[in-house]
Amino acid sequence: MGTLNRRQFIGTIGAAGAFSILSGKASKADESKIKVGIMGLGGRGRFLTERFVQRHDIEITYLCDVNNRRYAYGREIVAEYQDSQPKLTQDFRDMLNDPDVDVIVNATPVHWHALGTIMACQAGKDVYVEKPLSVNPWEGKKMVEAARKYKRVVQVGCQTRSAPYVKNAMEYVQNGHLGNVHMASVYQIVDWKQNVHSTEEEPVPEGLNYDLWCGPAPKLPYRPGYWYRDKWDFNVGSIGGDIFHQVDLARYILDVSFPQSAFSSGGVYHFNDGREIPDTISTHFEYDKLVYKIEAAIWAANFKKIPTSIRDSDQFPDWEFTSTKIELYGTKGFLRLGRQGGGWQAFNEKGEIAAEEYGRQADNIHIENFIDCVRSRNLPNADIEEGRRTDLLLHLSNISARVGNKKLIFDPDSNNFKNLKEANDFLRRKDRAPWLIPDKV
Amino acid sequence: MEFVKRWIFSVIFLFFTSLAFSQWLDINSISIQSVITEEGGPVIEITYTLNDESITQDNPAYVFIRFSRDNGKTWRLIDPAFLSEEGIGIIESGGKKKILFWGSGEMAVKNPLFRIRGIRMAEIPPGEFIMRSFPAGGKDPSISERPSNILPGFFMSINETTISMYVDFLNEIGKDGSGWNERMVNEKRCGILQSGDEGNFQYTVIPGRENYPVTYVSWYDARNFLKWCGLNLPTETMFEKAFVGGIYLDGDEKKSVSNTNPKRKYPWGDEVPYQAGIYRCNYAGDEDGYSNLAPVGTFSKFSSPYGINDLAGNVSEWTLDWYSTTYHIGLDGFRMIRGGSWLAEPFACDAVSGATQFPIKESSIMGFRGVYLIE
Repeated sequence: MGTLNRRQFIGTIGAAGAFSILSGKASKADESKIKVGIMGLGGRGRFLTERFVQRHDIEITYLCDVNNRRYAYGREIVAEYQDSQPKLTQDFRDMLNDPDVDVIVNATPVHWHALGTIMACQAGKDVYVEKPLSVNPWEGKKMVEAARKYKRVVQVGCQTRSAPYVKNAMEYVQNGHLGNVHMASVYQIVDWKQNVHSTEEEPVPEGLNYDLWCGPAPKLPYRPGYWYRDKWDFNVGSIGGDIFHQVDLARYILDVSFPQSAFSSGGVYHFNDGREIPDTISTHFEYDKLVYKIEAAIWAANFKKIPTSIRDSDQFPDWEFTSTKIELYGTKGFLRLGRQGGGWQAFNEKGEIAAEEYGRQADNIHIENFIDCVRSRNLPNADIEEGRRTDLLLHLSNISARVGNKKLIFDPDSNNFKNLKEANDFLRRKDRAPWLIPDKV
Repeated sequence: MEFVKRWIFSVIFLFFTSLAFSQWLDINSISIQSVITEEGGPVIEITYTLNDESITQDNPAYVFIRFSRDNGKTWRLIDPAFLSEEGIGIIESGGKKKILFWGSGEMAVKNPLFRIRGIRMAEIPPGEFIMRSFPAGGKDPSISERPSNILPGFFMSINETTISMYVDFLNEIGKDGSGWNERMVNEKRCGILQSGDEGNFQYTVIPGRENYPVTYVSWYDARNFLKWCGLNLPTETMFEKAFVGGIYLDGDEKKSVSNTNPKRKYPWGDEVPYQAGIYRCNYAGDEDGYSNLAPVGTFSKFSSPYGINDLAGNVSEWTLDWYSTTYHIGLDGFRMIRGGSWLAEPFACDAVSGATQFPIKESSIMGFRGVYLIE
């Protein structure tokens, strides 16, 4: 059995990826610590704060959240690792105006990812922005334009792209070990039936700048909870918010970008809580001699994401019931890969394991790559353009469902649908003033 | 008890004097003897003195007993089901107390050891209160309706668990290092030293830190400590009721003492913590007199309607409740913490403040206290 040697694979890491195209102003952090401002102190923001602050080459200079009840938890993390105290603010523009900030970590809700990133680029800051990237295709395009115009390093938080095991899987596929890959399946089959959004309207809690929280999205009456995750004006949905990782990994491994067409079947089948974005969807993307499928449902019994006990261990997940896997079908073999350190296995024509590798999560590697690029001005592993391409697949999937499950042909250059005018209505949201993304960023 | 006729069977197994730790109540003059009952079986009679005349029905205490059969190598809580008389569980007066231990078969060892400890508690009578927060900040997808705002009665520790109490716990169960982490050495934000070798670790309080709330404790550490005591963490609902008080402070059975402000923002009322230059809890900054933690009970003039201290500030507190964001299925889900802390903005010390944390989180702004349910 020709199982690939993990060390051999890892030995190849780092040979690629040094594409120095950001010839703009080198960060002043070249000579000193990189000054980081954290935008959003929810669970992900605190996680990233803790990962960033443990590095010796950065300093957290700002903590920002529209809800200043959250300050304490961010401050406490920083206080554990650095002597200087960060400034606190509810308004991220304070960070943008402060020369003592080189980098913005944007860990806000999705409806703030685009404008927050664009404004940071305009202010000369590099950005680490969480996925998914945008609420609609237009936002993603403008994010790329802003990053390029202002020569900013913008890394998207799809950290598994930086995982060595994923890179090795990519090389295995690109070296032809599977033969011709004509079909790929990307899964997000999870059991989130309890995830209802039926909270009621309440007064805005003291300490929350709700107007700023809404930002460019409509200012609806305040409700606690995550109801906004499945509203078109705020998000790409519970499916899109999580499958982003797998969609990105499959695209990376297969080396594909914009599809020729997209066609969805799906809708809100299970939940009855006012959500707008499908809880069930299957999308076929057509590439050159490749059908790339998304299979997603968030109500499916038995399926689970990869347990923490597996993620950083020498074990493979229970593939059959793994929620977040990728399957690639080739003329000479089959490969399955798990996100979040799930590893991968490839099978030859005889059904034998031809290669396999355990995985590890890659948050720290991804941050390391970002910081390296802030200094070198190279493109990061998950550059904004790559993020936009992945993000676009989620939008195409949703928009196809939104127009009645019709086939769509999208032109990435004009950012328009070629074959169905009504679909163009969903390319851009009417933003709420004054939080407008300009046509020319 | 009338049915017990006693013969002195063997005198005194052990005198174990008071555990002189901050926030344990002063308990001493412990004596243990085995007596034969009329039915022929032995029973262990334990007497002790609770040296605190302030303990009354309105200011009760919780007493528990731990027992070692192997000369202090291992200890276990004696199940209250094996105990009777008035000296165990909730105690409503000071003075001499007696407990009968019906598990006397376990006493067939040379030198059994007992440790008796007591914690000052407040009673929260059964009844309705106004819950303004939504558990888990409204983000727990498993909660689609508000919980009942009518709770059964329970008792809650008046103070946050102190460093000295926790060190006492560690010296019983932490010989292998469990329950302790290196962050606890921080003398400004905790103050617990570890010495000795693995398998025989010992713990001491950095002098002067005895009466500060213990910090850097995970949710598991908190649960283990309270299980060791026979207590539990409060739910979010219990925490909030203890914070604001019921509609009737003496409960829905009596309904004779109305809560003048059942929607209060803070334990003391609606005044912000610094109003008129009077500082009512330990929040961020040093204008309240504390740039870091404060000893528990420092702001006791501004306790809750039940006389419970520091619910607003000093340390945020672990609760029993889970927060099961679906994005993290597969992880051991978040737990909820409530209340403000020494790093919180003043208004974030109010009745609805809370946050999610991983249960393994060890933080200088998070501690805990216990509750005892009335059966």
